[in-house]
Amino acid sequence: MAKDIVAGVFCCVGTLFFIIGTTGLLRMPDIFTRLHPSTKCDTLGACSVILGLAVHNGWSWDLLKLAFIACFLLLSSATCGHAIGRSALRRNIPYWKKKEANEDGHGA
Amino acid sequence: MDRFLTAVALVISANAFICLYRAAVGPTTQDRVLGVNIVGTKTLVVVILVTYILAENYFLDVAIVYALLLFVVTVALSRYLEAEGWKEVP
Repeated sequence: MAKDIVAGVFCCVGTLFFIIGTTGLLRMPDIFTRLHPSTKCDTLGACSVILGLAVHNGWSWDLLKLAFIACFLLLSSATCGHAIGRSALRRNIPYWKKKEANEDGHGA
Repeated sequence: MDRFLTAVALVISANAFICLYRAAVGPTTQDRVLGVNIVGTKTLVVVILVTYILAENYFLDVAIVYALLLFVVTVALSRYLEAEGWKEVP
């Protein structure tokens, strides 16, 4: 019973981080700013869900595969984000700049 | 527990469909690559969840191969896009 509660909490935290990452991917204005929420929130969300499923699974050989997937995600997600960012930088994609403020002080 | 895992898988699938918007209408090609990478990560988590919903162990091997393929695809596409002489498709 306690095992199920711990696994459920980890899965809920992971899903929450996935939702935050999706919001950042949709709302950010620029490729360089989009890399920030999506890459990190996805890594943390996936590793959190995998950790919850490992608690749900218990001790077996499948735990080794889950640990391999989590460790590989920690390495590969950072590498993918860096590769996409370097590609965008070398193609001279323009940076996002905030527009001039209006008369009443609100940004555009 | 099975129902809870199914609900988590459904929420993550809905997230993946929302992320597909960025892959479809991203202003630059790098945005599309990023969207495909994010959708792939979410699909990987859904495959791992399906392993425990259906109680079939061999789906974990599918998940491992999927993670490796996702890494190779993203790095190869990025290296291809940053090569000299490549032009943005309008």
